[in-house]
Amino acid sequence: MTIDIPFIWTAFKEIIKSLPITLILTLVPLAIGFLIGLTVALVRIYKTRFLYQAANGYVSFFRGTPIIMHIMVIYYGIPLLIDQVSSKFDLNIQTNKIPIILFVLIALSLAAGAYLSEIIRSGIISVSTGQLEAAYSVGMTKYQAMFRIVLPQALALSIPNFTNLFVGFLHTSSIAFLVSEKELTGAANIVASTNLKFLEAFIAAGIVYWGLTIMVEGISFLLEKKVTSYSRGGVS
Amino acid sequence: MGKAFDPSLIIEFIPTLFHYLGVTLQILAASIFLGLILGVAAAIPRMFKIPILNQLVILYVSFIRGTPILIQLFLVFYGLPAVLQIIKIDVSKLEAIYFVIITYAISNGAGFSEIFRGAIRAVDKGQTEAAYSVGMTSTQNFFRIVMPQALRIAFPNVANSVIGSLKDTSLAFTIGVMDMMGRGDTLISATAHALEVYISLSIIYYSVVLLFEKTLGKLEKYFNRYQKADLSAAA
Repeated sequence: MTIDIPFIWTAFKEIIKSLPITLILTLVPLAIGFLIGLTVALVRIYKTRFLYQAANGYVSFFRGTPIIMHIMVIYYGIPLLIDQVSSKFDLNIQTNKIPIILFVLIALSLAAGAYLSEIIRSGIISVSTGQLEAAYSVGMTKYQAMFRIVLPQALALSIPNFTNLFVGFLHTSSIAFLVSEKELTGAANIVASTNLKFLEAFIAAGIVYWGLTIMVEGISFLLEKKVTSYSRGGVS
Repeated sequence: MGKAFDPSLIIEFIPTLFHYLGVTLQILAASIFLGLILGVAAAIPRMFKIPILNQLVILYVSFIRGTPILIQLFLVFYGLPAVLQIIKIDVSKLEAIYFVIITYAISNGAGFSEIFRGAIRAVDKGQTEAAYSVGMTSTQNFFRIVMPQALRIAFPNVANSVIGSLKDTSLAFTIGVMDMMGRGDTLISATAHALEVYISLSIIYYSVVLLFEKTLGKLEKYFNRYQKADLSAAA
Protein backbone atom coordinates (compact mmCIF):
# COMPACT_ATOMS: atom_id res chain seq x y z
CA MET A 1 0.00 0.00 0.00
CA THR A 2 1.41 3.34 -1.03
CA ILE A 3 0.00 6.73 -0.37
CA ASP A 4 -1.64 8.30 -3.40
CA ILE A 5 -1.02 11.99 -2.77
CA PRO A 6 -3.08 13.39 -5.70
CA PHE A 7 -6.05 11.39 -4.47
CA ILE A 8 -6.01 13.34 -1.20
CA TRP A 9 -6.96 16.43 -3.23
CA THR A 10 -9.68 14.51 -5.09
CA ALA A 11 -11.05 13.24 -1.79
CA PHE A 12 -10.78 16.71 -0.28
CA LYS A 13 -12.99 18.19 -3.00
CA GLU A 14 -15.53 15.44 -2.48
CA ILE A 15 -15.53 15.64 1.32
CA ILE A 16 -15.76 19.43 1.57
CA LYS A 17 -19.21 19.23 -0.07
CA SER A 18 -20.62 17.82 3.16
CA LEU A 19 -19.22 20.65 5.26
CA PRO A 20 -22.70 22.27 5.65
CA ILE A 21 -24.02 19.18 7.44
CA THR A 22 -21.12 19.21 9.87
CA LEU A 23 -21.70 22.91 10.49
CA ILE A 24 -25.42 22.30 11.10
CA LEU A 25 -24.53 19.47 13.47
CA THR A 26 -22.24 21.84 15.36
CA LEU A 27 -24.11 25.14 15.38
CA VAL A 28 -27.69 23.99 15.97
CA PRO A 29 -26.88 21.86 19.05
CA LEU A 30 -24.77 24.66 20.49
CA ALA A 31 -27.52 27.23 19.94
CA ILE A 32 -30.22 25.03 21.50
CA GLY A 33 -27.76 23.85 24.11
CA PHE A 34 -27.05 27.45 25.06
CA LEU A 35 -30.71 28.02 25.93
CA ILE A 36 -30.85 24.76 27.88
CA GLY A 37 -27.54 25.50 29.53
CA LEU A 38 -28.52 29.03 30.57
CA THR A 39 -31.78 27.79 32.09
CA VAL A 40 -30.08 24.93 33.89
CA ALA A 41 -27.27 27.16 35.14
CA LEU A 42 -29.75 29.68 36.57
CA VAL A 43 -31.73 26.89 38.21
CA ARG A 44 -28.58 25.56 39.79
CA ILE A 45 -27.38 28.97 40.95
CA TYR A 46 -30.69 30.02 42.50
CA LYS A 47 -31.22 26.48 43.83
CA THR A 48 -34.83 26.44 42.64
CA ARG A 49 -36.72 23.80 44.56
CA PHE A 50 -37.31 20.39 42.89
CA LEU A 51 -35.85 21.63 39.62
CA TYR A 52 -32.45 21.90 41.28
CA GLN A 53 -32.04 18.15 41.80
CA ALA A 54 -33.30 17.42 38.32
CA ALA A 55 -30.83 19.91 36.85
CA ASN A 56 -27.95 18.40 38.80
CA GLY A 57 -28.89 14.92 37.67
CA TYR A 58 -29.20 16.00 34.06
CA VAL A 59 -25.79 17.69 33.99
CA SER A 60 -24.07 14.85 35.83
CA PHE A 61 -25.58 12.13 33.63
CA PHE A 62 -24.92 13.80 30.30
CA ARG A 63 -21.38 14.72 31.26
CA GLY A 64 -20.80 11.26 32.67
CA THR A 65 -21.74 9.19 29.63
CA PRO A 66 -20.15 9.14 26.17
CA ILE A 67 -22.02 11.26 23.63
CA ILE A 68 -22.31 8.25 21.33
CA MET A 69 -24.67 6.78 23.95
CA HIS A 70 -26.95 9.82 23.80
CA ILE A 71 -27.08 9.60 20.02
CA MET A 72 -27.78 5.87 20.03
CA VAL A 73 -30.37 5.91 22.81
CA ILE A 74 -32.28 8.73 21.13
CA TYR A 75 -31.84 7.27 17.67
CA TYR A 76 -33.38 3.96 18.77
CA GLY A 77 -35.55 5.22 21.60
CA ILE A 78 -37.59 8.07 20.11
CA PRO A 79 -38.96 6.06 17.16
CA LEU A 80 -40.03 3.31 19.57
CA LEU A 81 -41.72 5.87 21.79
CA ILE A 82 -43.51 7.55 18.89
CA ASP A 83 -44.57 4.20 17.49
CA GLN A 84 -46.07 3.22 20.79
CA VAL A 85 -47.91 6.50 21.25
CA SER A 86 -49.18 6.52 17.68
CA SER A 87 -50.45 2.95 17.85
CA LYS A 88 -52.26 3.73 21.07
CA PHE A 89 -54.00 6.80 19.73
CA ASP A 90 -54.26 5.64 16.14
CA LEU A 91 -52.09 8.44 14.88
CA ASN A 92 -50.58 7.58 11.58
CA ILE A 93 -46.99 8.66 12.09
CA GLN A 94 -44.32 6.80 10.21
CA THR A 95 -41.17 7.00 12.24
CA ASN A 96 -38.93 5.79 9.44
CA LYS A 97 -39.81 8.98 7.56
CA ILE A 98 -38.21 11.15 10.24
CA PRO A 99 -34.78 12.26 9.02
CA ILE A 100 -31.96 10.79 11.09
CA ILE A 101 -30.30 14.17 11.46
CA LEU A 102 -33.16 15.23 13.73
CA PHE A 103 -32.29 12.53 16.28
CA VAL A 104 -28.64 13.45 16.16
CA LEU A 105 -29.50 17.12 16.66
CA ILE A 106 -31.68 16.33 19.69
CA ALA A 107 -28.98 14.16 21.26
CA LEU A 108 -26.20 16.65 20.65
CA SER A 109 -28.35 19.55 21.92
CA LEU A 110 -29.01 17.75 25.19
CA ALA A 111 -25.31 16.97 25.58
CA ALA A 112 -24.33 20.54 24.67
CA GLY A 113 -26.83 21.87 27.22
CA ALA A 114 -25.15 19.92 30.00
CA TYR A 115 -21.65 21.06 29.09
CA LEU A 116 -22.73 24.67 28.47
CA SER A 117 -24.55 24.90 31.78
CA GLU A 118 -21.30 24.10 33.59
CA ILE A 119 -19.43 26.74 31.59
CA ILE A 120 -22.10 29.40 32.15
CA ARG A 121 -22.38 28.54 35.83
CA SER A 122 -18.65 28.85 36.42
CA GLY A 123 -18.69 32.10 34.45
CA ILE A 124 -21.44 33.53 36.64
CA ILE A 125 -19.67 32.42 39.80
CA SER A 126 -16.45 34.10 38.74
CA VAL A 127 -18.07 37.54 38.40
CA SER A 128 -17.22 39.35 41.62
CA THR A 129 -20.00 39.86 44.14
CA GLY A 130 -19.16 43.56 44.25
CA GLN A 131 -20.78 43.88 40.82
CA LEU A 132 -24.01 42.44 42.17
CA GLU A 133 -23.91 44.65 45.24
CA ALA A 134 -23.33 47.71 43.08
CA ALA A 135 -26.28 46.75 40.88
CA TYR A 136 -28.55 46.36 43.92
CA SER A 137 -27.30 49.61 45.40
CA VAL A 138 -28.48 51.58 42.36
CA GLY A 139 -31.89 49.94 42.76
CA MET A 140 -31.81 47.18 40.16
CA THR A 141 -34.02 44.18 40.69
CA LYS A 142 -32.56 40.70 40.98
CA TYR A 143 -33.59 40.01 37.40
CA GLN A 144 -32.07 43.21 36.06
CA ALA A 145 -28.83 42.65 37.95
CA MET A 146 -28.50 39.16 36.53
CA PHE A 147 -29.31 39.94 32.92
CA ARG A 148 -27.75 43.40 32.63
CA ILE A 149 -24.73 43.18 34.90
CA VAL A 150 -23.68 39.65 35.77
CA LEU A 151 -24.49 37.63 32.65
CA PRO A 152 -22.76 39.88 30.10
CA GLN A 153 -19.56 39.74 32.13
CA ALA A 154 -19.93 36.02 32.77
CA LEU A 155 -20.36 35.27 29.08
CA ALA A 156 -17.37 37.44 28.14
CA LEU A 157 -15.26 35.60 30.70
CA SER A 158 -16.41 32.27 29.29
CA ILE A 159 -15.26 32.86 25.71
CA PRO A 160 -12.20 30.59 25.96
CA ASN A 161 -14.37 27.82 27.40
CA PHE A 162 -17.00 28.35 24.70
CA THR A 163 -14.30 28.03 22.06
CA ASN A 164 -13.08 24.76 23.53
CA LEU A 165 -16.62 23.45 23.58
CA PHE A 166 -17.27 24.65 20.03
CA VAL A 167 -14.20 22.81 18.80
CA GLY A 168 -15.17 19.81 20.91
CA PHE A 169 -18.62 19.67 19.34
CA LEU A 170 -17.21 20.22 15.87
CA HIS A 171 -15.23 17.06 16.49
CA THR A 172 -18.05 15.26 18.24
CA SER A 173 -20.28 15.72 15.20
CA SER A 174 -18.05 13.13 13.52
CA ILE A 175 -19.80 10.48 15.63
CA ALA A 176 -22.94 11.11 13.58
CA PHE A 177 -21.42 9.07 10.78
CA LEU A 178 -22.03 5.97 12.90
CA VAL A 179 -25.76 6.44 12.34
CA SER A 180 -25.02 6.88 8.62
CA GLU A 181 -25.21 10.66 8.59
CA LYS A 182 -23.29 12.01 5.60
CA GLU A 183 -21.24 14.71 7.30
CA LEU A 184 -17.47 15.16 6.88
CA THR A 185 -16.45 11.83 8.39
CA GLY A 186 -19.34 10.00 6.76
CA ALA A 187 -18.43 11.49 3.39
CA ALA A 188 -14.79 10.53 3.93
CA ASN A 189 -15.89 7.00 4.72
CA ILE A 190 -17.91 6.81 1.50
CA VAL A 191 -15.06 8.21 -0.60
CA ALA A 192 -12.71 5.78 1.12
CA SER A 193 -14.73 2.67 0.62
CA THR A 194 -15.78 3.39 -2.98
CA ASN A 195 -12.15 3.97 -4.01
CA LEU A 196 -10.54 1.65 -1.45
CA LYS A 197 -8.25 4.48 -0.44
CA PHE A 198 -8.92 4.79 3.27
CA LEU A 199 -5.80 6.58 4.40
CA GLU A 200 -5.99 9.29 1.75
CA ALA A 201 -9.67 9.99 2.41
CA PHE A 202 -9.18 10.32 6.15
CA ILE A 203 -6.11 12.52 5.67
CA ALA A 204 -8.31 14.82 3.59
CA ALA A 205 -11.02 14.79 6.26
CA GLY A 206 -8.40 15.48 8.92
CA ILE A 207 -7.18 18.51 6.99
CA VAL A 208 -10.72 19.89 6.76
CA TYR A 209 -11.29 19.52 10.50
CA TRP A 210 -7.88 20.94 11.31
CA GLY A 211 -8.46 23.97 9.11
CA LEU A 212 -11.88 24.57 10.64
CA THR A 213 -10.45 24.32 14.15
CA ILE A 214 -7.68 26.80 13.45
CA MET A 215 -10.23 29.18 11.95
CA VAL A 216 -12.54 28.90 14.95
CA GLU A 217 -9.68 29.50 17.35
CA GLY A 218 -8.57 32.55 15.38
CA ILE A 219 -12.05 34.05 15.37
CA SER A 220 -12.42 33.40 19.07
CA PHE A 221 -9.10 35.10 19.79
CA LEU A 222 -10.22 38.25 17.95
CA LEU A 223 -13.62 38.14 19.61
CA GLU A 224 -12.11 37.79 23.05
CA LYS A 225 -9.82 40.72 22.42
CA LYS A 226 -12.76 42.89 21.37
CA VAL A 227 -15.15 41.82 24.11
CA THR A 228 -12.72 42.11 26.98
CA SER A 229 -11.15 45.35 25.77
CA TYR A 230 -13.26 47.32 28.27
CA SER A 231 -12.56 45.15 31.24
CA ARG A 232 -8.79 44.95 31.15
CA GLY A 233 -7.16 46.67 34.06
CA GLY A 234 -4.13 48.92 34.11
CA VAL A 235 -3.42 51.95 31.97
CA SER A 236 -4.10 51.75 28.28
CA MET B 1 -36.18 -0.97 13.82
CA GLY B 2 -36.08 -3.40 16.74
CA LYS B 3 -38.45 -5.43 18.76
CA ALA B 4 -40.71 -4.05 21.47
CA PHE B 5 -38.94 -2.36 24.37
CA ASP B 6 -38.31 -4.72 27.26
CA PRO B 7 -36.89 -3.07 30.39
CA SER B 8 -35.99 -6.38 32.02
CA LEU B 9 -33.43 -6.93 29.28
CA ILE B 10 -31.50 -3.88 30.48
CA ILE B 11 -30.74 -5.64 33.75
CA GLU B 12 -30.05 -8.87 31.92
CA PHE B 13 -27.52 -7.28 29.58
CA ILE B 14 -25.49 -5.48 32.24
CA PRO B 15 -23.51 -8.51 33.52
CA THR B 16 -22.68 -9.62 29.97
CA LEU B 17 -21.43 -6.18 29.03
CA PHE B 18 -19.74 -5.58 32.37
CA HIS B 19 -17.54 -8.56 31.61
CA TYR B 20 -15.88 -6.48 28.90
CA LEU B 21 -15.18 -3.48 31.10
CA GLY B 22 -11.69 -4.92 31.56
CA VAL B 23 -10.84 -4.34 27.91
CA THR B 24 -12.02 -0.74 28.16
CA LEU B 25 -9.94 -0.17 31.29
CA GLN B 26 -6.93 -1.85 29.67
CA ILE B 27 -7.11 0.55 26.74
CA LEU B 28 -7.51 3.44 29.17
CA ALA B 29 -4.62 2.45 31.46
CA ALA B 30 -2.17 1.72 28.64
CA SER B 31 -3.01 4.88 26.72
CA ILE B 32 -2.82 7.10 29.80
CA PHE B 33 0.53 5.62 30.82
CA LEU B 34 2.05 6.01 27.34
CA GLY B 35 0.37 9.40 27.02
CA LEU B 36 2.05 10.63 30.23
CA ILE B 37 5.48 9.65 28.90
CA LEU B 38 4.74 11.24 25.53
CA GLY B 39 3.36 14.33 27.24
CA VAL B 40 6.54 14.86 29.26
CA ALA B 41 8.67 14.24 26.17
CA ALA B 42 6.63 16.74 24.19
CA ALA B 43 6.58 19.37 26.93
CA ILE B 44 10.39 19.52 27.22
CA PRO B 45 11.12 21.01 23.77
CA ARG B 46 8.34 23.54 24.31
CA MET B 47 9.68 24.72 27.66
CA PHE B 48 13.32 24.92 26.68
CA LYS B 49 12.45 26.24 23.20
CA ILE B 50 14.60 23.66 21.42
CA PRO B 51 14.57 24.76 17.75
CA ILE B 52 12.83 22.52 15.18
CA LEU B 53 11.59 20.13 17.89
CA ASN B 54 9.65 23.02 19.38
CA GLN B 55 7.89 23.70 16.06
CA LEU B 56 7.24 19.99 15.53
CA VAL B 57 5.58 19.71 18.93
CA ILE B 58 3.45 22.79 18.21
CA LEU B 59 2.34 21.15 14.96
CA TYR B 60 1.66 17.86 16.73
CA VAL B 61 -0.44 19.44 19.47
CA SER B 62 -2.31 21.62 16.99
CA PHE B 63 -3.14 18.64 14.79
CA ILE B 64 -4.37 16.50 17.67
CA ARG B 65 -6.47 19.36 19.05
CA GLY B 66 -7.72 20.12 15.55
CA THR B 67 -9.06 16.74 14.50
CA PRO B 68 -11.70 14.42 15.96
CA ILE B 69 -10.47 11.34 17.77
CA LEU B 70 -12.42 9.24 15.29
CA ILE B 71 -10.35 10.61 12.40
CA GLN B 72 -7.15 10.06 14.39
CA LEU B 73 -8.22 6.49 15.02
CA PHE B 74 -8.74 5.85 11.31
CA LEU B 75 -5.49 7.59 10.39
CA VAL B 76 -3.49 5.38 12.76
CA PHE B 77 -5.40 2.26 11.78
CA TYR B 78 -4.85 2.75 8.05
CA GLY B 79 -1.74 4.90 8.15
CA LEU B 80 0.55 3.11 10.59
CA PRO B 81 0.76 -0.13 8.55
CA ALA B 82 1.51 1.91 5.43
CA VAL B 83 4.25 3.89 7.17
CA LEU B 84 5.79 0.84 8.83
CA GLN B 85 5.79 -1.04 5.57
CA ILE B 86 8.37 1.41 4.28
CA ILE B 87 10.80 0.16 6.92
CA LYS B 88 9.70 -3.41 6.24
CA ILE B 89 7.72 -4.06 9.40
CA ASP B 90 4.52 -5.92 8.83
CA VAL B 91 1.83 -4.97 11.34
CA SER B 92 -1.19 -6.08 9.32
CA LYS B 93 -1.72 -8.97 11.72
CA LEU B 94 -1.58 -6.74 14.79
CA GLU B 95 -4.79 -6.75 16.81
CA ALA B 96 -6.98 -3.68 16.52
CA ILE B 97 -6.67 -2.92 20.24
CA TYR B 98 -3.02 -1.92 19.78
CA PHE B 99 -3.98 0.66 17.19
CA VAL B 100 -6.53 2.02 19.61
CA ILE B 101 -3.97 2.24 22.40
CA ILE B 102 -1.48 3.98 20.11
CA THR B 103 -4.09 6.48 18.93
CA TYR B 104 -5.29 7.34 22.41
CA ALA B 105 -1.71 7.56 23.68
CA ILE B 106 -0.84 10.03 20.92
CA SER B 107 -4.00 11.97 21.61
CA ASN B 108 -3.51 12.02 25.38
CA GLY B 109 0.16 12.91 24.98
CA ALA B 110 -0.74 16.14 23.20
CA GLY B 111 -3.20 17.11 25.91
CA PHE B 112 -0.83 16.19 28.72
CA SER B 113 2.06 18.14 27.22
CA GLU B 114 -0.06 21.30 27.29
CA ILE B 115 -1.24 20.57 30.82
CA PHE B 116 2.31 20.00 32.09
CA ARG B 117 3.62 23.12 30.40
CA GLY B 118 0.83 25.21 31.89
CA ALA B 119 1.34 23.69 35.32
CA ILE B 120 5.08 24.35 35.38
CA ARG B 121 4.51 27.93 34.29
CA ALA B 122 1.90 28.31 37.01
CA VAL B 123 4.43 27.66 39.76
CA ASP B 124 5.36 30.99 41.29
CA LYS B 125 8.70 32.33 40.10
CA GLY B 126 9.57 33.20 43.68
CA GLN B 127 9.84 29.48 44.41
CA THR B 128 12.65 29.11 41.89
CA GLU B 129 14.36 32.24 43.19
CA ALA B 130 14.13 30.94 46.73
CA ALA B 131 15.58 27.59 45.67
CA TYR B 132 18.51 29.28 43.96
CA SER B 133 19.07 31.55 46.94
CA VAL B 134 19.61 28.54 49.20
CA GLY B 135 22.14 27.21 46.70
CA MET B 136 20.19 24.60 44.75
CA THR B 137 21.25 23.76 41.23
CA SER B 138 18.70 24.13 38.45
CA THR B 139 18.16 20.35 38.34
CA GLN B 140 17.56 20.21 42.07
CA ASN B 141 15.26 23.18 41.80
CA PHE B 142 13.23 21.51 39.05
CA PHE B 143 12.88 18.08 40.64
CA ARG B 144 12.56 19.10 44.27
CA ILE B 145 10.74 22.41 44.15
CA VAL B 146 8.98 23.08 40.87
CA MET B 147 7.88 19.62 39.77
CA PRO B 148 6.11 18.52 42.98
CA GLN B 149 4.09 21.74 42.96
CA ALA B 150 3.42 21.51 39.23
CA LEU B 151 2.08 17.97 39.63
CA ARG B 152 -0.38 19.22 42.21
CA ILE B 153 -1.53 21.99 39.88
CA ALA B 154 -1.75 19.64 36.90
CA PHE B 155 -3.67 16.92 38.70
CA PRO B 156 -7.27 18.15 38.23
CA ASN B 157 -6.69 18.64 34.51
CA VAL B 158 -5.08 15.23 34.16
CA ALA B 159 -8.03 13.73 36.01
CA ASN B 160 -10.42 15.42 33.57
CA SER B 161 -8.43 14.05 30.66
CA VAL B 162 -8.59 10.55 32.12
CA ILE B 163 -12.36 10.75 32.41
CA GLY B 164 -12.68 12.23 28.93
CA SER B 165 -10.46 9.48 27.61
CA LEU B 166 -12.59 6.85 29.30
CA LYS B 167 -15.62 8.17 27.46
CA ASP B 168 -13.66 8.34 24.21
CA THR B 169 -12.77 4.64 24.41
CA SER B 170 -16.40 4.01 23.44
CA LEU B 171 -15.32 4.77 19.86
CA ALA B 172 -12.74 1.97 19.72
CA PHE B 173 -15.33 -0.47 18.43
CA THR B 174 -15.40 1.39 15.09
CA ILE B 175 -12.17 -0.37 14.10
CA GLY B 176 -13.36 -3.68 15.47
CA VAL B 177 -12.15 -3.82 19.07
CA MET B 178 -14.12 -6.14 21.33
CA ASP B 179 -14.64 -3.80 24.26
CA MET B 180 -17.98 -3.03 25.94
CA MET B 181 -19.28 -1.22 22.87
CA GLY B 182 -18.05 -3.97 20.57
CA ARG B 183 -19.77 -6.59 22.68
CA GLY B 184 -22.87 -4.41 22.69
CA ASP B 185 -22.79 -4.38 18.91
CA THR B 186 -22.76 -8.18 18.72
CA LEU B 187 -25.55 -8.32 21.32
CA ILE B 188 -27.62 -6.05 19.10
CA SER B 189 -27.11 -8.23 16.06
CA ALA B 190 -27.98 -11.28 18.11
CA THR B 191 -31.07 -9.95 19.90
CA ALA B 192 -32.18 -6.87 17.91
CA HIS B 193 -32.73 -5.02 21.18
CA ALA B 194 -30.53 -2.00 20.42
CA LEU B 195 -32.13 0.45 22.82
CA GLU B 196 -31.81 -1.85 25.83
CA VAL B 197 -28.15 -2.53 25.03
CA TYR B 198 -27.34 1.16 24.81
CA ILE B 199 -29.19 1.93 28.03
CA SER B 200 -27.24 -0.82 29.79
CA LEU B 201 -24.01 0.56 28.38
CA SER B 202 -24.93 4.07 29.52
CA ILE B 203 -25.54 2.79 33.03
CA ILE B 204 -22.17 1.05 33.12
CA TYR B 205 -20.29 4.04 31.72
CA TYR B 206 -22.05 6.41 34.08
CA SER B 207 -21.23 4.25 37.11
CA VAL B 208 -17.59 3.96 36.11
CA VAL B 209 -17.31 7.70 35.46
CA LEU B 210 -18.90 8.49 38.83
CA LEU B 211 -16.49 6.09 40.54
CA PHE B 212 -13.54 7.71 38.78
CA GLU B 213 -14.74 11.21 39.67
CA LYS B 214 -15.08 10.27 43.34
CA THR B 215 -11.69 8.57 43.52
CA LEU B 216 -9.82 11.26 41.62
CA GLY B 217 -11.56 13.94 43.69
CA LYS B 218 -10.33 12.26 46.89
CA LEU B 219 -6.80 12.08 45.48
CA GLU B 220 -6.95 15.74 44.57
CA LYS B 221 -7.90 16.60 48.14
CA TYR B 222 -4.99 14.51 49.35
CA PHE B 223 -2.52 16.34 47.08
CA ASN B 224 -3.81 19.66 48.34
CA ARG B 225 -3.58 18.73 52.00
CA TYR B 226 -0.78 21.23 52.68
CA GLN B 227 -2.50 24.05 50.85
CA LYS B 228 -4.09 26.77 52.89
CA ALA B 229 -7.85 26.72 52.88
CA ASP B 230 -9.64 28.95 50.41
CA LEU B 231 -9.66 32.63 51.26
CA SER B 232 -13.42 32.62 51.39
CA ALA B 233 -13.34 29.88 54.00
CA ALA B 234 -10.77 31.77 56.06
CA ALA B 235 -12.71 35.01 56.06
